[in-house]
Amino acid sequence: MTEIHIDHKVLNDLREVMEDGYLHLVQTFLDDSERRLSELHAAKNADELGSAAHSFKGSSSNMGAVALAGLCQQLEDRVRQPPLYGIEDLINRIDLEYVEVRRFYRGEEHRISAG
Amino acid sequence: MAVETDFSQEGKKLTIKVKGRFDFGKHQAFREAYERQPDRPDSVVVDLKETTYLDSSALGMLLLLRDHAGGDDSDVRVVHASSDVRKILAISNFEKLFDIS
Amino acid sequence: MAAEQALTVLVAEDGAADRLLLAQIVRRQGHQVFTAENGEQAVALFVEQRPQLVLLDALMPVMDGFEAARQIKALAGETLVPIIFLTSLNEEDALVRCLEAGGDDFMAKPYSAVILAAKIRAMGRLRRLQATVLAQRDEITRHHHHLLNEQRVAKAVFDKVAHAGCLAAPNIRYLQSPYALFNGDLLLAAFTPSGDMQVLLGDFTGHGLPAAVGAMPLAEVFYGMTAKGYGLAQTLREMNAKLKRILPVDMFCCAVMLNLSVQRGSVEVWNGGMPDGYRLSAGGEVLSTLASRHLPLGILAPERFDDSTQVLPLAAGERLLLLSDGVLDTADDLERLFGVERLQGVLAGNRDPAHLFDEVMQALERFGGQPRDDISLCDIRMFAADERVPAPMIYAERGRPSPLDWSLGFELRGESLKQSNPVPYLVQLLQEIHPLRSRTGSLHSVLSELFSNALEHGVLGLDSRLKRDVQGFADYYRERAQRLAALADGFVRIDLKVEPHAEGGRLMIEVRDSGAGFDVQRVLSQPPSEQGLSGRGLQLITRLGSNAQWCEGGRCARVEFVW
Repeated sequence: MTEIHIDHKVLNDLREVMEDGYLHLVQTFLDDSERRLSELHAAKNADELGSAAHSFKGSSSNMGAVALAGLCQQLEDRVRQPPLYGIEDLINRIDLEYVEVRRFYRGEEHRISAG
Repeated sequence: MAVETDFSQEGKKLTIKVKGRFDFGKHQAFREAYERQPDRPDSVVVDLKETTYLDSSALGMLLLLRDHAGGDDSDVRVVHASSDVRKILAISNFEKLFDIS
Repeated sequence: MAAEQALTVLVAEDGAADRLLLAQIVRRQGHQVFTAENGEQAVALFVEQRPQLVLLDALMPVMDGFEAARQIKALAGETLVPIIFLTSLNEEDALVRCLEAGGDDFMAKPYSAVILAAKIRAMGRLRRLQATVLAQRDEITRHHHHLLNEQRVAKAVFDKVAHAGCLAAPNIRYLQSPYALFNGDLLLAAFTPSGDMQVLLGDFTGHGLPAAVGAMPLAEVFYGMTAKGYGLAQTLREMNAKLKRILPVDMFCCAVMLNLSVQRGSVEVWNGGMPDGYRLSAGGEVLSTLASRHLPLGILAPERFDDSTQVLPLAAGERLLLLSDGVLDTADDLERLFGVERLQGVLAGNRDPAHLFDEVMQALERFGGQPRDDISLCDIRMFAADERVPAPMIYAERGRPSPLDWSLGFELRGESLKQSNPVPYLVQLLQEIHPLRSRTGSLHSVLSELFSNALEHGVLGLDSRLKRDVQGFADYYRERAQRLAALADGFVRIDLKVEPHAEGGRLMIEVRDSGAGFDVQRVLSQPPSEQGLSGRGLQLITRLGSNAQWCEGGRCARVEFVW
């Protein structure tokens, strides 16, 4: 099921580029992402929401989390057309998708720390 | 091309045509026109039909050409000069050195 | 990677993971990386490390990418520090903002190492190009200052040489614009020992140093020979030969040269390549033009040089106007030239000679839209009869006592008469007589007058009454040239004898010619004014020397100088 959530080509490139720094990158991404999700939930208006979505989109795409990035893009586009009905739905889907992404990268963390 | 050359094999006549302003900017091209010929021509014709303007560096270039073509023994003609250009050549009395028409 | 292509790169990105990733990508490509979390840090790091390339996230806290970019560009000055904006913004106005802030390129997320490498390489090339341009600009500036300095030095030397003469004489007015000298315009004036004035206005081809350099040897010949009393023809021949010898083939000197003789009331002219000079009446009306009839100096070999001159009468108060080609060449914005007609218009409209130059310069400025800085103008007035002509400087030396008992005979026959003027040599010889040094001027005048009488009226048989008016002058000198060219026989003999006399000494000069002689009594008895323009200058000889006599039917003239 990881194929849908993570682009493996990106993943391989990441592993290759980062070399020994891969673990650190993964950890940084996970920490970063927690913060970004909080920002998303704490956003008080369309601008803040759009900005948070934009940032999260960027970091997710760099990590190969293509589905997550796609959802963030949708959110970014959606907030430009007020009123924002149904926006909670989109935010929920982002939460759910992130759960999958997190699961995968936690797995990576363990794999590398153990190996 | 601002300076054009034409070499006739039978008459061994080299024609050099100068277009536009005949001034210091043409120096290199003009020299190459007569220095780069494999055979020494018997006569040289400088065609100024499309020359709009001539200054003292052009006069100097003509002197260099004449010197290269044999000095006092050379046969260098300047043809189709406009009246303005002829005036400039006349003040310097260049018809004493070149056949000007 | 080649060392020269490894750069120091600043990465400013607020996402921690993204920053890590990007820094690593760049490092792996061989560059040194510094990272910043926001715009303010980015600017501070830039100041500290002066990176060669900047990767800047557009949206950052504290100070965003746009402001950071503006500040970094300002700090970089004329050095090119490429800035690549990291942005997924794809609205056109967002991208425009990046460009306006100074961005040179964009990179989107997800970061592609390949694309980034290509962009970095391209930016590197641009950076090196800019650096080369600046280095070349600086080198050109250095060379330019060097050149300017050389020119300053050359100009200083040149000014000393060129201004050794008599341009300050009361009858000369001249104008040389600041750049005229350095554009090859040369204005020289000097007195001959007999009080004639020789003037040369020259124009060397080219500009700057090459043009000015040729002027020095020319000035040397001019002053040297004029001081010794050599005439126009001989001086021109020598100047032409010198320039022909030392200048490259394509360099030459257009020149107009004059000899003004107060005693003879005439001006002798040679013009090779300069614009027409003008002979003006005292009121400014154009009486004749002094047209260019010869090739400029430095072109013809000595044996082909044409030293024939034009002689015109010049009465007291009449003027000669000489000008360089900058006047006629002045163009307006339609590329029409000022030309001869407009100049003659200015001359016709001039009321006060003192203002002529100003009027010419103003007319040129009005026509061309801006003032000219390379014009030479010269206005020479013939001395009035009662004006005191400044005496030429005589070099006086104390030292060896002079030989006081000698004689010398010098005879020029046939062919030699055509070529040679022995007067300068003889005057130099006579300078050995120290007590006579101060009268070199008179000696020169008297000898010149006697010789030219003997040659022209004696041997050639010319009638000086022809020289009544301008046409007569022209006829006379044309006839002179023809008869001289056809001359086969005939001679002029000059005998000099120096002997002690009373407390001092005496120089006796005797000049004999092979001509028919003349009626001495009749000429001497004519009133002085009639002798003036067309006489044999007998009055002059009687006045400057002592004991003047004519014998053998006028074929032999004798005069003494006593001290």
